[in-house]
Amino acid sequence: MSSNAAVPFWRAAGMTYITYSNICANLVRNCLKEPYKSESLSREKVHFAVSKWIDGKPEKPTIRSDTGAQ
Amino acid sequence: MAMEQVPNGVRSISTQAVRNRMKSVKNIQKITKAMKMVAASKLRAIQTKAENSRGLWQPFTALLGDIPSVDVKKNVIVTISSDKGLCGGINSTSVKISRAVHKLNSGPDKETKYVILGEKAKAQLIRDSKKDIELILTELQKNPLNYTQVSVLADDILKNVEFDALRVVYNKFQSVVSFLPTMSTVLSPEIVERETESGGKLGDLDSYEIEGGETKSEILQNLAEFQFSCVMFNAVLENACSEQGARMSAMDSSSRNAGDMLDRLTLTYNRTRQASITTELIEIISGASALEG
Repeated sequence: MSSNAAVPFWRAAGMTYITYSNICANLVRNCLKEPYKSESLSREKVHFAVSKWIDGKPEKPTIRSDTGAQ
Repeated sequence: MAMEQVPNGVRSISTQAVRNRMKSVKNIQKITKAMKMVAASKLRAIQTKAENSRGLWQPFTALLGDIPSVDVKKNVIVTISSDKGLCGGINSTSVKISRAVHKLNSGPDKETKYVILGEKAKAQLIRDSKKDIELILTELQKNPLNYTQVSVLADDILKNVEFDALRVVYNKFQSVVSFLPTMSTVLSPEIVERETESGGKLGDLDSYEIEGGETKSEILQNLAEFQFSCVMFNAVLENACSEQGARMSAMDSSSRNAGDMLDRLTLTYNRTRQASITTELIEIISGASALEG
């Protein structure tokens, strides 16, 4: 397995396995032919709002949308 | 009924108020029926997804186990609820279970925090557990749920929260009318290692061979992260499925209630009308007979 050698590098970049696998999945999706490519890319949309709480007080929520995914 | 709405000098009983009430009940019934239809069609789409996603966490449970009784210092309860209401008691159930888990896992040297998904659990947990809330995530269902979204979300949770054990509380979809409040436990890699060494349920983990140059702790960290995102994916889908199911049955019963109410109102309406007709007849006949006599 060639990917084994990559592990220390993406860990060092502060990525988790989830981020890493998402990037890989996105690469695979980009390898598809049309029309499957745009279909599979449009299916995986990211949108949610996160707000962190510190000592019982909410901080301003941030919206995670498609651009923040990759 | 508001009888004072009748203008002075009118002797017969007005049926206006009852008629208005009937009209509004009929409109409400139409709305609830439409909501039921919407929920039913959404349910069908999401149910297949949820059932397919069960295959994702099952291998992990076989490998790493699901040990709800594990005793660790930093517990994080991930409560999953919906953003919208009108779906029966599923949100209160998951909040109730989360509170119970919180109580079970709190002790002098322990720390238990909440991570909340969805507006409804947020509204309920803010009231009494403000201090323990770590992270709130909402607006999940703007787009149809997909793995990328949930994995980014799981990633955010992992990055922002320190944990020894994550306990995901959600409603598992069983059928349109029954949802099982469920807790899935995801352990941090260190705890998995500790449990492996102490034997018990995870004792078999050492018998697996590890390929390549990675150490066991690295593999375990990757596995734990991936397990969490898979468990979250399934939990979010199951909860969304339960939500639609609960909404469907809630809307069904409310349209039935509206129908019952409409029946009662129609009865009152007809009786009043009949009564006023009878009164008028009596008046006419008695007037006529008085003239004759």
